[in-house]
Order: sequence, then C-alpha cells, then structure tokens
Amino acid sequence: MENKKNRIVYIVLIILFAYFLENCTTAKDTIAKKTGTQLWSENCIRCHNIPTPVDFSDPQWQTIVLHMQVRANLTAIEAEKIVDFMKNSN
Amino acid sequence: MRQKIILILFFIGISTTYAQTSIQEQLDSIKGEISTLKKVENSHFMLRGFAQFGLDASSDNVSFNMTSFNPILLWRLGNKFLFESEIEMEYMDNQYNLSLGYANASYLVANGITIKVGKILVPFGVFGEKLHPSWVNKLSDAPLGLGHDNGMLPMADIGVEIRGGVQLGLSKLSYSVYTVNGPRLKDGTASQTEAGMLSYENFNDNNKNKAIGSRLGFLPFSNSCLEIGFSAYYAKPGAATSPFANDTVNMDINYKDVKAVLSAIDFSFVKTFTPISGLIDIKSQYNNSAISDATYVNPDTTGMIKTGRYTFKNNSNAFYLQVAYRPTLVNNKILKNVEFVGRYSNYNMPLGSLWYSQQSQLSYGINYWFSWRTVLKLGYQTTSGVPAAMSMNSNTNMNMATNTVNIFQIYLATGL
Repeated sequence: MENKKNRIVYIVLIILFAYFLENCTTAKDTIAKKTGTQLWSENCIRCHNIPTPVDFSDPQWQTIVLHMQVRANLTAIEAEKIVDFMKNSN
Repeated sequence: MRQKIILILFFIGISTTYAQTSIQEQLDSIKGEISTLKKVENSHFMLRGFAQFGLDASSDNVSFNMTSFNPILLWRLGNKFLFESEIEMEYMDNQYNLSLGYANASYLVANGITIKVGKILVPFGVFGEKLHPSWVNKLSDAPLGLGHDNGMLPMADIGVEIRGGVQLGLSKLSYSVYTVNGPRLKDGTASQTEAGMLSYENFNDNNKNKAIGSRLGFLPFSNSCLEIGFSAYYAKPGAATSPFANDTVNMDINYKDVKAVLSAIDFSFVKTFTPISGLIDIKSQYNNSAISDATYVNPDTTGMIKTGRYTFKNNSNAFYLQVAYRPTLVNNKILKNVEFVGRYSNYNMPLGSLWYSQQSQLSYGINYWFSWRTVLKLGYQTTSGVPAAMSMNSNTNMNMATNTVNIFQIYLATGL
C-alpha cells in the first residue's frame, strides 16, 4: 500500500517536472510571437476590464503602460508590444 | 541667342538647386523641431485615480457613503523612470481623512528588474496591491481583514523593493522582494484593548529592525489566465525599550524580542469560456499572522475580560474567495455589461486578546458596467460572528454574543 502511494507521488512529480522542463525548453518565441493585441487582452483582464485604446493619447498610454509594467510585473517585450498596439489603435 | 538660352537654363538650374537646398534645409529644420517636441514628450505628467460613492442600508440605518476619492499622480521620465503617488481622501467614523496611500519612484534597471523606493504598496498577497481600487474591486468593500480598518496585513510602508517578471518558457514568474520599516506592536499603553495588535502606521520606525518580505507569483500557462502566489513577511515589531520603564511593577516587561511572521497564498483564474458565453473570474487569498508570545498588562478592572498581566496565542487569519461571471460573449448589449459576483470571507482574531473577533461574511452583487472603468454595484451582504467591540465588553470568553448584520449596498465606482 505504502509502495503504491510512493509510486503515485513519484509519477505526479515526474509529470510536474516534465511539464516544467517542457515549459522551460520550448521556445520563448511563443511569447515573442504574441501580438500586442493578445498581450493587451491577456494581461489587463487579470485584474480589471480591458481598457479601450481610444481613451488615451500616445504619451498617456506610454505612461500608463509603464505604470502597469511596474505594478503587474510585465516584461519589457510585453510592455513594448502593448504600448505599440495602443498607439496604433487610438 | 543660343548663349542667352544657355545662360537662362544655367540660372534656372542654379535657382532650382538653391530652392531644393532651401526646401531641404526647411525640412531638416522641421524634423529638428519635431524631434525636440518628441524629446519633450519623454517627460510626461498625468493625473488619474478612482472614486466611489454610494449608499448602505441596514434594518436600522440608511446612510449615504462617500467611501473614497483617490487621485493618482503619475510622472514618467523617459521609458525607465516613473514616479507614482496616490492621495486617499475618505470619510471614516464621521471624520474626513486625508492620507498618502503611496508615493514612490521606480526605475527599470534591466528587463525583469525594477527597483522601487519610497512609500510602496506592500506586495503581500494581491488584494492590497492590485485589487483594492474601487473600480477594480467588484464589490463595494474589501474582504474581512484586508481593509484599512484593523486589517491584519501590511498595505503600504516605506522602504525599498526589487521586483519584476521573468519569462520561463511558456510560463512566467512574477517576483518581489522588499525591506520596509515594518509594523509596530501595540503594547496597550495607548489603548489597553488593542494590546498585541500590529499597527502598520509605523512610518517613523520604533526600532532599528527592518521588516523583510517577498512574493512569488507563478503563471504556469502562456495566456497568463492562472496565477498562484506565495507571500512571506518577517518583522520584529517591538520597541527597543520597555514601555513600562517608569512603572516599578511592570518594568521587567519589554517587547524587543517579539517576532511577527506573516504568510499568504493567493490564487487568480480569469478566462473566457465559449460554452457559457462569458468570462469567469476567480480570486482567493488566505493570510496567516503569527506573533510570538508576550506578556501584556491591563490595569483597568471595569468589566474587561483580562486584568493585570495576561498572555494569549497571538495568531490571526483571514480568507476570501470571490467568483464573478460576466456574459461577455452574448449579443445582447445590456446583458453583456452585467456581472454577477459572490464572495465569502472570514477573519479570526486571537482568542484571549481584548480585540478577539471571529466573523464571516457572504456578499452577493450584480454589477452593471457603463464602460470598462465605470460600474454600478448592487450588493447584499450578511456578516455574522463576534465583532471586536462585543468581545471586549464581555466578562468571559465563553459568553460572547454573536450577531448578524445584513446590509444592502448601491455604489457607483469609476476609474478616472
């Protein structure tokens, strides 16, 4: 019985480790390939509704996204793509 | 005749070249001006914020309530420097309060490393740092234990923080490490009924120790729909000297070795599901506070639970789970702006303390979103248990009355 339990634990750990490795090794480019639109919709909604690009001007978006980059720990690539998207859509 | 034509062509050629040069110079000049203007835009100041106004109605009271007006000042210098500050204006207990929610400067040192100094929102869990603004919070108040009034958690403090986001393949890690002044242990000399509580309003530190803390958030999926966060916080909140130095009976008591260890787990899941035509938003946070044993003194003998010297197991915890659904994919213009919210929260303060309280709360809400940042919130809330004021006035721990309060709430909140 104890052996069976251990085996299950090992299997779960191996699956988790494989999942982690799979995540680490498969292409950072998947994130890099994401568009600003995708990143805008995926990240904003984690805390609040998705903002409308036309609500702010270019310099305002740059300030707001920097604010959110710090608050939500966005990476530089994510922030850059979101700003570009906002500026091109307002 | 031929010579005249050649001369005319020569002059035309020269004047055209001159004109082109002149136009080129003008273009260069305009380009210069534009780039100067762009440089000016590199420094940008803006005013944002949020506000909430509403009405609370219970069986014996109906009251309009201006809960908050919080202007936020943002100043960006280039693409790496940001100054942010929030001013909190609110009415609490019939008094107008004006305070500095936070004021700090952030500098992006490198990708994934930001350094922040000043009065920061302490990244302990996610509610206090990210979800507290009234237009972000889907209900009109904070979960039990996470508000400003007697909250058990640090909300804002003065110190230094390093934070950032790191891509791990398809996953993402969000981290924050910080050191701040830390809390102050209430020793009971100012208010006997609060002995043993932590006060996070400790901006002039009461000792040489600094609190340290960290939050790690793991977002396993590439679409960032799920985040699980772990927070830890350690502080020595006691003053270096005894508060009873002039009291010959109790001068042996001091709190300099008292330790406070706080921990939290938070969970967030936000995803649109086509079969249910809408967005599911689940948020949860469990917080625990453990303060090492200490001896407190209550000289008051007017019916309080404890008199003289006493001690108690100083552990508190708070929990909340909130689930929201908004049918964002339906075609009906009105229905897609409606949101249904439910939240359960509880808060347990230490048994044996003069501020013991054990409460649980169920909140239900229907929100209507006029825009992405303006919402009308209709809510109904039932809070039951032993409120702090009741436990303080009871003569024995075994005889603490429980009560239930039902409140109907209507609030309008907006992000500015």
